[in-house]
Amino acid sequence: MSARDDDFKADLLQGTLHLLVLKALVAQPLHGLGVSNRISQITNGTFDVKPGSLFPALHRMEEAGWLKAEWGESENKRRAKFYSLTKAGRRQLDTETEDWQRISIAMTSALRAS
Amino acid sequence: MTKLISRAGSLLHNTTHKQQIDRELTEEVSSYVEMLTEEKMKNGMNEQDARRAALVEVGGVEQVKEEVRASRSGSGLESFVMDLRYGMRSLLKKPGFTITAVVALALGIGANTAIFSVINGVLLRSLSYANPDTIVMVWERGATERNARNVVSPANYLDWQKQSMSFDQMAATVEQRVNLTGGRGEPEEIKAQFVSQGFFPALGEQPMLGRSFLAEEDTVGKELVIILSHELWQTRFGSDPAVIGKQATISGRQRTIVGVMPPGFHFLDNQVRAWMPMALDPAIDYRGKSGRYLKVVARLKPGVTVQQAQGELTGIAKQLEQTHVKFNTGWSVNVVPMHEQVVGEIRPILIVLLAAVAFVLLIACANVANLLLSRAASRQRELALRAALGASRGRLVRQMLTESVLLALMGGLVGVLLAYWGIQLLIGFGPDNIPRLGEITIDPRVLGFTFGISLLTGGLFGLIPALQASRPDLNDALKEGSRGSTGGRSRTLRNVFVITEVALALVLLIGAGLMIRSFVRLQSVETGFNPENVLTMRLQLPRKNYGEPHQILDFFKRAEERIAALPGVQVVGAISYLPLTGPAARDGFKVVGRPEPAPGQEPGVEVRVITPGYFQAMGIPLIKGRLLDERDGKDSRLLLINETMAKKYFPNEDPVGKQIIVTWSDGVVDEIVGIVGDIREGALNKEPETAIYWPHPREPYSGMALVVRAAGDAARLSTVVPKEIRAIDPEQPVADLRTMKQVVAKSIARPRFNTVLLAIFAGVALVLASVGLYGVMNYSATQRTHEVGIRMALGAMRADIMRLVVGNGMLLTLIGIGIGVAASVGLTRLMQSFLFGIGTTDALTFIAVSALLIAVALVANYIPARKATRVNPVIALRYE
Repeated sequence: MSARDDDFKADLLQGTLHLLVLKALVAQPLHGLGVSNRISQITNGTFDVKPGSLFPALHRMEEAGWLKAEWGESENKRRAKFYSLTKAGRRQLDTETEDWQRISIAMTSALRAS
Repeated sequence: MTKLISRAGSLLHNTTHKQQIDRELTEEVSSYVEMLTEEKMKNGMNEQDARRAALVEVGGVEQVKEEVRASRSGSGLESFVMDLRYGMRSLLKKPGFTITAVVALALGIGANTAIFSVINGVLLRSLSYANPDTIVMVWERGATERNARNVVSPANYLDWQKQSMSFDQMAATVEQRVNLTGGRGEPEEIKAQFVSQGFFPALGEQPMLGRSFLAEEDTVGKELVIILSHELWQTRFGSDPAVIGKQATISGRQRTIVGVMPPGFHFLDNQVRAWMPMALDPAIDYRGKSGRYLKVVARLKPGVTVQQAQGELTGIAKQLEQTHVKFNTGWSVNVVPMHEQVVGEIRPILIVLLAAVAFVLLIACANVANLLLSRAASRQRELALRAALGASRGRLVRQMLTESVLLALMGGLVGVLLAYWGIQLLIGFGPDNIPRLGEITIDPRVLGFTFGISLLTGGLFGLIPALQASRPDLNDALKEGSRGSTGGRSRTLRNVFVITEVALALVLLIGAGLMIRSFVRLQSVETGFNPENVLTMRLQLPRKNYGEPHQILDFFKRAEERIAALPGVQVVGAISYLPLTGPAARDGFKVVGRPEPAPGQEPGVEVRVITPGYFQAMGIPLIKGRLLDERDGKDSRLLLINETMAKKYFPNEDPVGKQIIVTWSDGVVDEIVGIVGDIREGALNKEPETAIYWPHPREPYSGMALVVRAAGDAARLSTVVPKEIRAIDPEQPVADLRTMKQVVAKSIARPRFNTVLLAIFAGVALVLASVGLYGVMNYSATQRTHEVGIRMALGAMRADIMRLVVGNGMLLTLIGIGIGVAASVGLTRLMQSFLFGIGTTDALTFIAVSALLIAVALVANYIPARKATRVNPVIALRYE
């Protein structure tokens, strides 16, 4: 019922969110807040991912086998869960990047057309 | 693929390590909050502000956790199991509510299951013959609608069979009562079908023992064989496996048993116990010698449609009209699919009954929905709390729907039990002329239906309250001491439900009321005879011992004399066709001295033969002239006519002394000597037909019904009368021994059955609707305790309060009645064909039923209203 509508919207955003999370984790493993900050940084503050969507995305991606999580210690000596890319995650990043570029080019040319 | 495996792994992990995962999630989210706080403090906020800002940004730790849980694999299953457990617990916590709801639903679902199982057995399940869809009945079609499915002349049947190409098989049958001696027990009259050779192949059925008839056995001289029904084989021949080849004596003639049919096999009439070859003789001119009396069944060739067969036979019939002008003018052919033949007549009432039980179920749904609404009001704080703890609206709705479906399934379970019991009652009390009644069972399709409607009702009554209750105003609901009123919207909903219930119940009550009124009319119909203190029975004399007319006449004369001599017997008579037990012989006639009618246009008349005592024994008055008596013997050319015939054909003259010629007596002129009163011969709801009566010696029927008028209770004669028959002939069975009142009652068994069923459903509807009305009124009265307290404190009188509360309920009732009356006007038209003597918008029924409903509603309103006026203002005000 209504759950399907939610899923649909989520799928739309998830595509983008997944790609951003994968990209954020390319350089090094990060904990939740780290991912959020990194995304904000690499998008020049355009995307501000709230925990309400970040954590479900991280858990889903972990379940999908793209990320693995380990408990570690933060800069401030606080226990935190660190996420890093798996091999499957890197492959996924490549595919999604390619897809995104194709879409992006298509969209740009579509919008330029008169 | 790896993704799938990984997912499956997490599903397993998620379900097995639930608690650990939950702990880790809590830690992960709270560490996020901590780190965010530290970050904000680094940017110069004090700790308190930083923490608050962090929490605001996160948007609630519990909500985040709930989101994560929802997105994890297996969350659906997990929360479903949780809902189920929770639902079960909360239903058990409120047994009063649960039992009320389950009982209401069980009544609705049970009634639906019972009626659906009847529809399943009678209408939906295909007939038990092989490939039943290609079996058709072939009737002659006369000029009028009542002759649309007329029995068939043997000559026409033989011509159809010879000329048509559409059928693999075509067979003729005719039912007859025969006397069976041999095997175990007394001589017995049984119903048998005489069938032509194609009969068993046309139905695609084989005997389970022995063989079916050979082609040569369907010829005169070789026809002395018989096939037994399974039941007769069991009762009369002790299930003897070696019965094939043994002899049975049928009406005095020895026949060889060649087969036994499997259990349940029957054709049109489930009372038939044996089949014998018909042995029509193609050399005989049946058109000259006899009328129409066969039932013809045929099997279509593969690929031939009913329409094609109809087209071909219509063409053949047109030719026969020209070659046999006198006999066939105006007669065509009517091909009817077998299934339509068997169930066509019963379909309309089943559809009405199904609609009735659907209404009962809808009322039950409205009732339970109302209960749920009231309950949701008292659960509001619980729901608000769950919402505050992060449950989404969808989650709350799902949980409440789980509960209502759970309720519905419980109702369905109890409903199936009710239905099982109800079906036994239906079969037990159902009249035996409902086709296929014995085939009704609760099979997987019925159970599937029940399960389906349970789910559907669960959704139906659960959804609106769930949507309503899942939108609590958190602030208001959580406040200490909030009264938890659900406000205007839910009151409107409740009112809509009540109005719906009242309207539905009214439609059902009007339907039942019409049936009852119609049935009362039927029962009080002027039958034209006096059924009190009359005993009747059938005697079918076998041709072997009673081959000569004088033997037959002598037997009945002796029987009448012996019975008349019994103490307590007033008068005895006999007739060839007892009223209300089936059709009589029918023929054409013309009045001497009037212009010859065109062929096929002769007026029809029912022909019966009687012995002198008949009219007195039945209490039928002589209107004019004289009755027939002992003087009128074999060569008598006198007859009696009934009033209808006198009025219709001799409107302005005295019929006594006039002469008529009945077609079958081939030009012999009869003189009318008397007019007797009309009686309802065919059925209580059918106007009397034109009828004549001949003296028995004129046409010495070997099968007659004896009619014995007693001084007192006729049933007391039922042991002594058969003894007198046996004293004359110990081999002679007595069949259908019953009082005339029983005959009358049996003839209206089906309308009685329909009336009782509809009345029961309407009764259930009335109870459910009034309970629903009471519930809502009671609830709203309780809700208004405070208001009533204030009003009374300000000086309102009890009567004012009463008027306020009752007026509100009665307004709803009246709206419901208005809608119900409007709907009834449209819906009762469907019942036209079951009603006798009243219109479908019978004003008296509409008014009486509305009044009844208003009265019941007044009571349902009055009790809560009285409770409201008993409120002590001081307590009511302090109740806050």
